[in-house]
Amino acid sequence: MIYFDNAATSGKKPISVSRAMAFSVENYSANPGRSGHDLSVKTADKVYKTREKISNFFGSCGAETVVFTQNCTHSINCVLKGVLRRGDHVIVSDFEHNAVMRPLNKMGVSYSVAKSGDTTAKTLENFKRNIKPNTRLVLVSGASNVTGEVLPISQIGLICKKKNIRFCVDAAQIGGILPIDMQKMNIDYLCLAPHKGLYAPMGIGVLICRKPIENTLIEGGTGTDSVNFLQPTTLPEGLESGTINVPAIFGLSAGVDFVKNKGIETIYKHEFSLLSYLYDELLKNEKIVLYTKPPKFNYTVPVLPFNYKGLKSFETAQILNKYGFAVRAGYHCAPTAHKKMGTMSYGAVRVSFGAFNNRYEVTKFVNLLKDENFIKNYKKVVE
Amino acid sequence: MKKYIIQTGTVTYAIKGRDLLRNKGFKVKVERITADKNYGCGYAIILEGNLENALQTLRENGVKILDIIEK
Repeated sequence: MIYFDNAATSGKKPISVSRAMAFSVENYSANPGRSGHDLSVKTADKVYKTREKISNFFGSCGAETVVFTQNCTHSINCVLKGVLRRGDHVIVSDFEHNAVMRPLNKMGVSYSVAKSGDTTAKTLENFKRNIKPNTRLVLVSGASNVTGEVLPISQIGLICKKKNIRFCVDAAQIGGILPIDMQKMNIDYLCLAPHKGLYAPMGIGVLICRKPIENTLIEGGTGTDSVNFLQPTTLPEGLESGTINVPAIFGLSAGVDFVKNKGIETIYKHEFSLLSYLYDELLKNEKIVLYTKPPKFNYTVPVLPFNYKGLKSFETAQILNKYGFAVRAGYHCAPTAHKKMGTMSYGAVRVSFGAFNNRYEVTKFVNLLKDENFIKNYKKVVE
Repeated sequence: MKKYIIQTGTVTYAIKGRDLLRNKGFKVKVERITADKNYGCGYAIILEGNLENALQTLRENGVKILDIIEK
């Protein structure tokens, strides 16, 4: 299987990640922050070192700002439900994932959608225009999981700082892919999906908080202040009730090391070269419909949506699957982005690259889509 | 030399404090403290050395301290 679905999760993980997880299960199988025996404290130490590593990697201000969650959606929910109060207003971008849109709609919070314009200036103007006296939070995707478009988060962060509005970035598609410095970019909350660009296992999320979270999403044991029935507020434990996923945290630590050692810029350059190559080749294929502008270095993450003329996105993905290509079709849990892109009828096929993909795989993919019999094969493969 | 129990509550702050103090040459370790009716379960830094200097380092680096007990 040639895996082009890295925006859903990085399909291939470095061997160091699985080894770190096995090492954790075999040697650190004690509950950190609960018991007082040596193994528990040793495990807590490893967890702490991972928090510290993540804080440094993303330019936060200390290990205590790093909260382990179940996934990026969980992190986003922690921010929305922990920060917003009755009567508050939120600004989001026009390509938010359902991880943002569904909680917002369930909460009944008033929100405005700031369109991303053709230029950075227009985008920033749209954000500024939507600010109201009761705007408490701006929450944006660092990059669209559908179009790959990167939002000007540094500049949005600066606007938020000036207006004293809290700023949260859903970094599912940029964490480990593009450099992020929370302090320099004025990001107050960073929500991460480490199983994507940080090559961690699934089932672990990260929320980095440089500002407080006033309310908790879940309450329970934290291993601290246990005679008190009120939930402790001190981070990170206040947001981590229940036992944390230590093997995944070990895997995450190894994943961060992998990205650091290879170099985030080196990995991105490689992925971007594959993206540009694919874009140029698909542009020459008259059977392919492309929806995005040519990828721009540092402004596009390695994601490309397309459709094959005459086929629905699911049909194209089915054929590709039969030929050994893993891609994702449909709406990618982001109908807002598809509305904007004009693909609400049948969605789109999304190709997304990771560090382990190569040019040979992309050439094979391009050639398959050029094949005169590609569409004829649909009946063959579905029957 | 006097020994002190610096209660931080969370294991994260206890380890952070321990690392900060260890880097400054203090003799420190992290321990789970005995259940206490005021704070319940929690963690502490066990310090052997000058308390005032240690506290200054901890406070400068935002380590939250719940209580200090001389051992």
